[in-house]
Amino acid sequence: MLLAVALATMLTIALMVTHAMAADLATEIKSLDTSNFAQKEKAIAAIAATGDARVAAVLTALNDNKLLIRKADRLVVIAEGKGNVKIENAATGEALGEAAEADLDRIAINNKIRRQIKVILGGLTLFSDDPAVRLKAADDLFRSRDLSSLQPLKDALAKEQDPQVRQAMMEALAALTLVSDAPEAEKLAAVLTVKARGDQDAIALLSSVAQGSDAVARAATEALTSLEWARSFWDSLQNAVYGLSLGSVLLLAAIGLAITFGVMGVINMAHGEMVMIGAYVTFLVQEVIRGAAPDLLDQSLFIAVPLAFLVTALIGIAIERSIIRFLYGRPLETLLATWGLSLILQQAIRSLFGPTNREVSTPSWMSGSLELGALTLTANRLAIIVFALLVFVGLLLLLRHSRFGLEMRAVTQNRQMASAMGIHTARVDALTFGLGSGIAGIAGVALSQIDNVSPNLGQSYIIDSFMVVVFGGVGNLWGTLVAALTLGIANKFLEPFAGAVLGKILVLVFIILFIQKRPRGLFALKGRAVEA
Amino acid sequence: MDKAANSILYLDDVNVSFDGFKALKALSLIIEPGEMRAVIGPNGAGKTTMMDVITGKTRPDTGDVLFAETRDLTRLDEATIAELGIGRKFQKPSVFEKLTVGENLALALAGNRGVRDALFWRMSTREKARLDELLEIVRLGAQKDMLAARLSHGQKQWLEIGMLLAQEPKLLLVDEPVAGMTDAETETTASLLKSIAGERSIVVVEHDMNFVRELDVKVTVLHEGTVLAEGSLDHVSADNRVIEVYLGR
Amino acid sequence: MIAGRLLKISDRGVLVTLAVILIIAILVPVLHLLVPPESAFHIPAYAMALIGKYLCYAMLALSLDLIWGYCGILSLGHGAFFALGGYAMGMYLMRQIGSRGVYGNAELPDFMVFLNWTELPWYWHGFDSFAFAMFMVLFVPGVLAFLFGFFAFRSRVSGVHLSIITQALTFALMLAFFRNDMGFGGNNGLTDFKDILGFNLQASGTRTALFIATCLALGASLLLCLAITRSRLGVVLTAIRDAESRTRFLGYRVEAFKLFAFTVSACIAGVAGALYVPQVGIINPGEFAPANSIEAVVWTAIGGRGTLFGPILGAVLVNFAKSWFTSALPELWLFALGGLFLAVTLFLPKGLAGLFDRKAAGGRRAVPAAQPEAAE
Repeated sequence: MLLAVALATMLTIALMVTHAMAADLATEIKSLDTSNFAQKEKAIAAIAATGDARVAAVLTALNDNKLLIRKADRLVVIAEGKGNVKIENAATGEALGEAAEADLDRIAINNKIRRQIKVILGGLTLFSDDPAVRLKAADDLFRSRDLSSLQPLKDALAKEQDPQVRQAMMEALAALTLVSDAPEAEKLAAVLTVKARGDQDAIALLSSVAQGSDAVARAATEALTSLEWARSFWDSLQNAVYGLSLGSVLLLAAIGLAITFGVMGVINMAHGEMVMIGAYVTFLVQEVIRGAAPDLLDQSLFIAVPLAFLVTALIGIAIERSIIRFLYGRPLETLLATWGLSLILQQAIRSLFGPTNREVSTPSWMSGSLELGALTLTANRLAIIVFALLVFVGLLLLLRHSRFGLEMRAVTQNRQMASAMGIHTARVDALTFGLGSGIAGIAGVALSQIDNVSPNLGQSYIIDSFMVVVFGGVGNLWGTLVAALTLGIANKFLEPFAGAVLGKILVLVFIILFIQKRPRGLFALKGRAVEA
Repeated sequence: MDKAANSILYLDDVNVSFDGFKALKALSLIIEPGEMRAVIGPNGAGKTTMMDVITGKTRPDTGDVLFAETRDLTRLDEATIAELGIGRKFQKPSVFEKLTVGENLALALAGNRGVRDALFWRMSTREKARLDELLEIVRLGAQKDMLAARLSHGQKQWLEIGMLLAQEPKLLLVDEPVAGMTDAETETTASLLKSIAGERSIVVVEHDMNFVRELDVKVTVLHEGTVLAEGSLDHVSADNRVIEVYLGR
Repeated sequence: MIAGRLLKISDRGVLVTLAVILIIAILVPVLHLLVPPESAFHIPAYAMALIGKYLCYAMLALSLDLIWGYCGILSLGHGAFFALGGYAMGMYLMRQIGSRGVYGNAELPDFMVFLNWTELPWYWHGFDSFAFAMFMVLFVPGVLAFLFGFFAFRSRVSGVHLSIITQALTFALMLAFFRNDMGFGGNNGLTDFKDILGFNLQASGTRTALFIATCLALGASLLLCLAITRSRLGVVLTAIRDAESRTRFLGYRVEAFKLFAFTVSACIAGVAGALYVPQVGIINPGEFAPANSIEAVVWTAIGGRGTLFGPILGAVLVNFAKSWFTSALPELWLFALGGLFLAVTLFLPKGLAGLFDRKAAGGRRAVPAAQPEAAE
């Protein structure tokens, strides 16, 4: 009851004050019509003091040289546009039609006035009706630490209802306290508030405070140390996410290879070109959709994935039937033949689509990002991670639980026996190779979203893919998964220290050394079967 | 090491497993100097794995493998073991097909195996004589300059035995020497092996019971990676467990 | 018997090749220097440099053949040894420029001045001496091959795995040499050479001398490879190629033999690279590209591995075709090269040399090209 009365009283007073001020605004604005800068400063301070809702508009216009005086009646107006400008009454906001620029006088300002306006606007925005504007004002204040805004900030804080804005204002207040000559106890409390904020700006502020040797500086140093820890934690997490995303890309590129190389023992140097063709299929699908049904563009990838799989799988089967099958048991020859094939495919694509990058658009649901603490997860990274894992799981299920998977494993383990049991080994070979190639094609769809679609797309992945398969252990899909993610994360963790190129070199050297130690990779099959 | 006294080859409690599959289970075997031993056993009994362990191709998980009482074979690589004097003839004839018969034998001739020796090697008269002798023994004198690829299956087996002899090993491991040979060839092979035994120790792995009978030596029966029975052929043939393994229950 | 191999067809091929190299070594300089430019028989400087380049490639192919054709090691990174030899030579040539560079710094090559370096990195010292540089031409590729081979062969990395890690090796080196802070000129590599041993590189005489040196080096490498493959070591290498573990059971330390062949081969490749650089006038990290190494493999395959003259023939023919294609039908070159890869592996496993062999060998039955390792 008492509260309600108090509120009502306050509201009434506020309303009255506002009304009284509004009357003043027009007068104060009129006094800007002077060539004396000192008088202008006074007028500006007076304008600000009115607290009118138009203050911000008027001062902003003044700052931007858009506050003009109509020569005819010395009325102060805000002008918009060039040549013939639209004008409005500065005090009331009433539209006054158009006027020629020649009929208007400019109100000149100097740097001192600009600073003054800036401080006032900063204070004003603290009282804006829009919480977003108030939040930004508080944040700006945290960074600028302009002590002249201390009082307005305190006032604004007293009024603030929105918890988020309130928090920001309290942080700004703490920042101002730290640079003011406030008592030590207050400053110590402020250090804690700033520490709790914990972002880059907070670290900058604390570093500057930590310069001294008093209790406050010590507290700031302490806060900094713990913040650095938190920071390096978030950095590591962010690196891990980048690494995971790179690892997923590697996984996608390598997993098809893990099948053709790992399961069949066939070195397919044209694997990268299957990836590249998958990317071009995506490009073609989008071209067709753009022409036929532009509304479907966002769904283009859902069409591209199965189509890319089909196209590259068929090419793969054709390759197996026409080339690879004559070279079984001669891995080095297979390597050379498929390399030759990769040259032909590259040149064919180059002849068809030209050597330059082709534009592949990213669907809207793959743009944007997600913030998690200090972590930024972009949607396309997330999508690729999820997609890679889906492909992996799908493949695993296919190999474990389907008739084809069973036949494939049987042929891998004992060709003669499988053949004797009525499995068409030649067909299984062709399909296996087709599967490996098809997955490369799917990888191409995903890579088209993050890499340039050019005839050279595949080449940049082939060596990395081989590294992944060899590192993971031939013939082991789980090994491929672990290897891809490990290499991706290792790469991203090395980058900050060594730079991207040196990081990559270090990873390559590591793999070369690792292979010496464990020639059969991370998850090696042991025993006599391997040697056959 | 005392247990290994007076043995050329001593295997004790040797275990080998591949991905959980136990290829050898507590295998123990002792071969005396100059002894010839026949090892028989059904497919998958661990015969080839045993050979691999002795020649350093496979490292046992546990167990002792000693050569000539003292040398621990589990620590040495294939080349060193071969240099110690253990020769191996493979189940499938694995001669060097694109080298001539003479070159095959010359490669196997006892002598220094270093890179430098190989680069500046000239065949001495003694070695030439030895080579001709070996060609004589394995009856390939006429094929000396022929590529090994062109030999018949039986001739390849013989060439391989010749190569084994050329190494002058103290212990010969012979894996199915008569597979694919005619009866006459089998007989000659048996007498050849018998003539070598005494001077050298021999372990013969064989399926062919007639051949084993022909050899007339102590027999070890392997089953599922372990020794099932040991003794004369007649003795082991009478063993119920052996009969069960060979004939099924 | 070893003596029985004396008159093998491939040896006759080697003799013919040696004779041809000798003829080229005399004829080309004569046609270049003594025949007046108006004459139709005159060989201009660029053509001589081009032939010289082919011969360097031929040496690279020969070095590959020694390990692939005779020892079964397919290196997809031999371009790295070639490039390292080239860089060693390039460093000497850079030091020869002295103060004639754009920045006129007597001590530092231009690119270092450009990067604001104040002193020569330690690994550039000594390269002002020709003898030292020539030593490094052999030493750097040799040591790298030795170390790489030592670990790889000891852990029995072989076959496809070895091929892939050699590829990773050259790829890593390429990335490294692309970096400016490596001190090898980054992207641009080393170029703008002025003279060698005090002789102007543009002068006819110098170019002719380089050409003759290339012929001699190729001939010498050929003789060296002949000596190696003809010795008992060559027999052991062949044995390793066809049945590695069998050779091991005969008591041969396979890794030592492989290491020897690999190191010698890398040194030959290094010399080839060193002769290549002054004739083409530039060395850059592109020479490390994995594609280059694979291309060299295909010269060897097309010519016929396991014969010493085949790879030389293959390198010259393929590169001649490449020169012709890239000027006449540039879009078709990759189709042609890719087609060659396929055709050779599918239909001509023994390469062009196999054609001669089959004809000349008469009754001697052709041996299948690839023999899988004898299992046991």
